[in-house]
Amino acid sequence: MTALSLTLVNDLAEVGRLAEAVEAFCEANDLPMAAAHALALSLDELLTNTISYGYEDGAAGRIEVTITIAEGAARAVVRDDARPFDPTGAEPPDVDAALDDRAMGGLGIHLVQSMMDEVAYARRDGVNEMTLVKRLHG
Amino acid sequence: MDIETETRGGARVIRPQGRVDSNSARELEDALLPCFDTPEPVLVDFTGLSYISSAGLRVLLLAARRSKATGVPLGLSGMSEPVAEVFTISGFAKLFRIWPDAEAALAELSAG
Repeated sequence: MTALSLTLVNDLAEVGRLAEAVEAFCEANDLPMAAAHALALSLDELLTNTISYGYEDGAAGRIEVTITIAEGAARAVVRDDARPFDPTGAEPPDVDAALDDRAMGGLGIHLVQSMMDEVAYARRDGVNEMTLVKRLHG
Repeated sequence: MDIETETRGGARVIRPQGRVDSNSARELEDALLPCFDTPEPVLVDFTGLSYISSAGLRVLLLAARRSKATGVPLGLSGMSEPVAEVFTISGFAKLFRIWPDAEAALAELSAG
């Protein structure tokens, strides 16, 4: 299996289900530990943001996650029908701030952008589409 | 996620097992923050951790502030390479005393 495809609803319990599926997929495909960790954590952060802030209260949401491995890289695509939001445009957090001045906003997407080799956002046909690429060698 | 807690060498040791994510961060918060109500040093050992998300980092930030306010020492140990990288990327490595393993941490934390 070199592709994983999951359809999720906007419930935070889905974050754990996705993480388990991603971990099993990475193990089945012998991904290096660093790449498997980066994928699992990045998808957790994106999904948590979308589910927590992307939908009106009580609105039903649908989130599709696919991961494919090809040409020495893992590519994850997340499509959701939440309100339009481009997380790549967020202001990076001040990671040098002192303990009392630390703000948590933006930390999740900062982790994603730091761990992944490519992070891209597109709004297509009323859907947010995030593409993450992690190179598996070098 | 499961959380193992024990008192060892005069310190409270908290061991989150598996993922600390947006679902389980609250459990870590409930286990960790009350530790600063007593004077024993607190060690969070990540040996059994697969990953910690920004939701978990937020809890550690609260713990660090509690530690600073109460003077109860706080240490972290047992990070895998990817987890250590998350601490570097987020700048959190600078906010904590971090040891390679629980033994080393307890030796120094308990010595005050």
